[in-house]
Amino acid sequence: MYSKGYSNDDTIVAIATAQGPSGLSVVRLSGADAFSIAQTCFEGHTPLAEVPSHTLHHGWAVLPGREPGFKFARIDEVVVGVFRAPRSYTRQDVVEFSCHGGDHIRGSMLLALMEAGARPARRGEFTLRAFLSGRIDLTQAEAVADLIHSENQMESIWALAQLGGSLSRRIGEMADKVMDCVAEVEARVDFAEDVGGIEVPAHVTAAIEVVRVELTGLLEGSEYARAVREGIRVAIAGRPNAGKSSLFNALLGEERAIVSDIPGTTRDRVSEQLRLAGIRTQLSDTAGVRATDDPVERIGVLHAEAAMDDAGLVLWVVDGSIALGAEDIAFHASSRNRRALWVLNKCDLGTAAQRGIEALALPPPWVAVSAHNGTGLDVLRDTIKKRFGGGGRCGEVGNTRHIDALARAWRLLGQASAAATAGSPGEIVALELREALAALSEVVGTHADEELLDRIFNRFCVGK
Amino acid sequence: MDGRRHLTYAASPGAPSATLSVDAASAATRAGSFDVVVIGAGHAGCEAANACAQMGLSTALLTVKIEDTAKMSCNPAIGGIAKGHMVREIDALGGLMARITDRAGIQFKMLNRGRGPAVWSPRAQCDKAAYSAAMIDELARVAKLQFVTGIAERVLLTEGRVTGVGLTDGRRLTACAVVITPGTFLNGLIHIGERRIEGGRIGEHAARALSDCLAGLGLERGRLKTGTPPRLLHDSIDWDAVTPAPGDAVPEPFSHWTERLDVEQVLCWATHTNGRTHDVIRTHMHRSPLYSGQIQGIGPRYCPSLEDKVVKFPERVSHHIFLEPEGRTVDEIYANGVSTSMPEEIQLEFLRTIAGLEHCEMLRPGYAVEYDFVLPHQLDASLQCRAVPGLFLAGQICGTSGYEEAAAQGFMAGVNAAHQVLGRPPFVLRRDQAYLGVLVDDLVTREHHEPYRMFTSAAEYRLLLRADNADERLAELGHDLGLLSLDQVEQVRGKVAGLAAEERRLARVSMSLARLESARLLDLPAIAAPDGAAPASPERATQTRRVPALDWLARPQGTYAHLVAAGLEPLLPLAWRGSLEVRVKYRGYIERQEKTAAAGKSLEDIVLPAVLWEESLHGLSSEALEKLRRWRPTTAARAARIAGVSPSDVAILLVHARRCRPGR
Repeated sequence: MYSKGYSNDDTIVAIATAQGPSGLSVVRLSGADAFSIAQTCFEGHTPLAEVPSHTLHHGWAVLPGREPGFKFARIDEVVVGVFRAPRSYTRQDVVEFSCHGGDHIRGSMLLALMEAGARPARRGEFTLRAFLSGRIDLTQAEAVADLIHSENQMESIWALAQLGGSLSRRIGEMADKVMDCVAEVEARVDFAEDVGGIEVPAHVTAAIEVVRVELTGLLEGSEYARAVREGIRVAIAGRPNAGKSSLFNALLGEERAIVSDIPGTTRDRVSEQLRLAGIRTQLSDTAGVRATDDPVERIGVLHAEAAMDDAGLVLWVVDGSIALGAEDIAFHASSRNRRALWVLNKCDLGTAAQRGIEALALPPPWVAVSAHNGTGLDVLRDTIKKRFGGGGRCGEVGNTRHIDALARAWRLLGQASAAATAGSPGEIVALELREALAALSEVVGTHADEELLDRIFNRFCVGK
Repeated sequence: MDGRRHLTYAASPGAPSATLSVDAASAATRAGSFDVVVIGAGHAGCEAANACAQMGLSTALLTVKIEDTAKMSCNPAIGGIAKGHMVREIDALGGLMARITDRAGIQFKMLNRGRGPAVWSPRAQCDKAAYSAAMIDELARVAKLQFVTGIAERVLLTEGRVTGVGLTDGRRLTACAVVITPGTFLNGLIHIGERRIEGGRIGEHAARALSDCLAGLGLERGRLKTGTPPRLLHDSIDWDAVTPAPGDAVPEPFSHWTERLDVEQVLCWATHTNGRTHDVIRTHMHRSPLYSGQIQGIGPRYCPSLEDKVVKFPERVSHHIFLEPEGRTVDEIYANGVSTSMPEEIQLEFLRTIAGLEHCEMLRPGYAVEYDFVLPHQLDASLQCRAVPGLFLAGQICGTSGYEEAAAQGFMAGVNAAHQVLGRPPFVLRRDQAYLGVLVDDLVTREHHEPYRMFTSAAEYRLLLRADNADERLAELGHDLGLLSLDQVEQVRGKVAGLAAEERRLARVSMSLARLESARLLDLPAIAAPDGAAPASPERATQTRRVPALDWLARPQGTYAHLVAAGLEPLLPLAWRGSLEVRVKYRGYIERQEKTAAAGKSLEDIVLPAVLWEESLHGLSSEALEKLRRWRPTTAARAARIAGVSPSDVAILLVHARRCRPGR
């Protein structure tokens, strides 16, 4: 019963437009808290609670809960549409964020709104709400049922595919351990006279910690989730005149959240923060790498090398219109290449470098772009995202709903542990544990309630 | 309602009002016509009949022997963890069990006192004879209620609807609704070793015809088992060799309407089994009908026989036994903890290995009893058989165990039978409202593989369903039902308002932290300074600091008593202080549960019409469809709780339900 949370009033969020590259995307919220959640993620002229229904508002989508004035908390420039109940698609309060297309912006918006308290919508849930509120005609009932059914079929196939057997087994084992903890605590609450002792024995607290550490590992092992949480460093490097700075600008320019004066000379290492592929990224432009006797340029090269060593990803830029140089060959042979993504710039001018690339037997992915006219930049972003495990499959744990549930379990176990340490009564600790168990069950679909008594009776001699 | 509330019951040995029961008996010889007939005068039947009659319906309470009314067939106690909660709830709605317990109780104890307040549970040892007598006395005063003696044989139907009850002697009682509460009598079969005796209790009959009749109505039955320990002769026990177990120094009444208990409490005693006891059990295990295969019914794991304990927990060298007197003056001692179905001579053999029982004599051996029950998925949320309109079931027939579970269902079935006769909608409580709601909901949405007993862990909104706030949760409903007087509900309204006002006042009053701290330290007996000197002097900052009184209560150890000791004028009656402490201390958690409950309410409000189950319902998974058709949930929330029904199944169900709703 703890595992079947289902309500038509809580606020849900989903990307309302089609997946894949497009000019604009719409992220839609529906539910009682739609306005307050939207407001948490919106920086505009007028508070959304005060504006009339069916109006549009320009502003910035921002990450919630960050310290104010942190300029990189901006996600995208957006237009927000406000629809008050009952004059909306679902007849609930609805807010729609129109943002720029591209998976990374959409993904960031979704995560931001979830952080602010929205629940990821189940498939077909907006339509269901529209239907239940009478917004959609009764004659369409069949069609709605079909829609939910087919989308759920797809969803489960998709979720299963994402959640590999071993992972689902691991989460299942965690749920199992948490259920043992629940049984230990519940037995002491319900059979105080038979079981006795302190409410939450030390071995239970220890077991909670074990699961928590495991979950931490799982959430961290999800490389994309970690990248999203902690951000990444990307260095742009290459020979002089490969077009590094123009690529840097092109990437920044596309990210309108960032408008920055670039100080210094091209010989300096220049860094800016932006959101790249939904990940907070510190992007560094570096001086061109070549053997030189000029002491100033030499310092620049040293900086570039330091930036490459510091980065989680090196974008090694070559001028695609000419043949590879000695520095390219040297880089290929160096250990730094292991963290590199090769970018063939100036693809609008020619593809002479490709032969060299093929000669090096450089495995894909390498990306041909033109910083000048923007060709290939989306492919580049996408490749970067995949590099961090974010291409539809976010590392080990893919589904945002799964990440959401696991993160909730992690938080609740922390609360359980804290309550136990503070000497709270068993039923309080049990409350946290049971909600954590419910969160884990959302991922692996076990029925906790049926089993709880079995465990208590198998473990403790209760009853008189 | 009459002037029976606010009574203070003095403990009275013997059986009061025995003459009244005789009056009732003479009236009972007439068969006749009633609004409701209740079959069986156990804990379920008494509540059912009382509720119906108090709601103004002419009610017959059919029983074999009036003096066995509300008989405590097993242990001599009412309440306990989760069970005590239910008794308080029945009381808050206008039922009987708590008031009778206050009249017949001989030892009162608040269980779990050292633990979280959500699970504090009252329990009382009762004088069994006094309990029956008090119940008979209570029921005899109910104008519209009539005892009828006899044995029910069949339920009478006209065009599929209940129209009465036929008795074994040929008499007929006509009625618009019938509540069946047969306890363990439905095809009851007693086992003592290899001996098998028909009967619901030892020395009594078994209701075979009635069980066959239910099968004839198309109701699917199952078989359960329960057991009871031997009863010992008081004077055969070596009382110096056992440990006394007293009740609470200040007994707290069960009933909201009992102001004060003026009772001289008796002692219980504790002893324990040992290796020799277990050896006796092991040696003769083949003679236990539980292990020889003689018993087919499923027994409760929370109430294991001594055989079960020895087999399942071989590493345990000892098990507790409580020796509980079955009355203030009777010779019978209930040996709590050694439920068994071994042959009599083996029972005596193992008992005599136990400290204090070396020379004990048995008045009655322990035994196991198997009985029929009706699989409760065939009931709706008003405890009515879906296939037989007008037929309600309550108690062990629904697959539960325990006096309190029985009384709770009896009350709900009685109210619902009355509502049906009166043409009112069913009376159903939600899971976040009452354990009574959890109980009925669990019965009608879940598969159970053993007799169902209430646990606090069954209630997901446990922090909301406390024993201290049963009246706040339910008294208004009791009043609406017509089972609580205006005076009674006003008393509860006064409590609600008083608590709120006191909370507001305490938020404004600021108090010296130093004085509060010393009040707290004085509370800790072991740490009290030997010469009365002030305990370790608090830091200078604490000495001048003041905190809102409410903040002190929010601290884990803060109590209202500390506030009073530190100079607060005590405006809140003693009895309500615990409630205030709980709601302040656990506010965050309570609000969290209230929020969850509110979120679930939208599904509670969505009614699934019965015609839905005749539809094709495409889109649902086949597992979900099978389960839903079996349980036929009446609300979307209930559907969502059925194992195997996923949230998307519920979504699809909502679509179909909306389509079925006439005129949208």
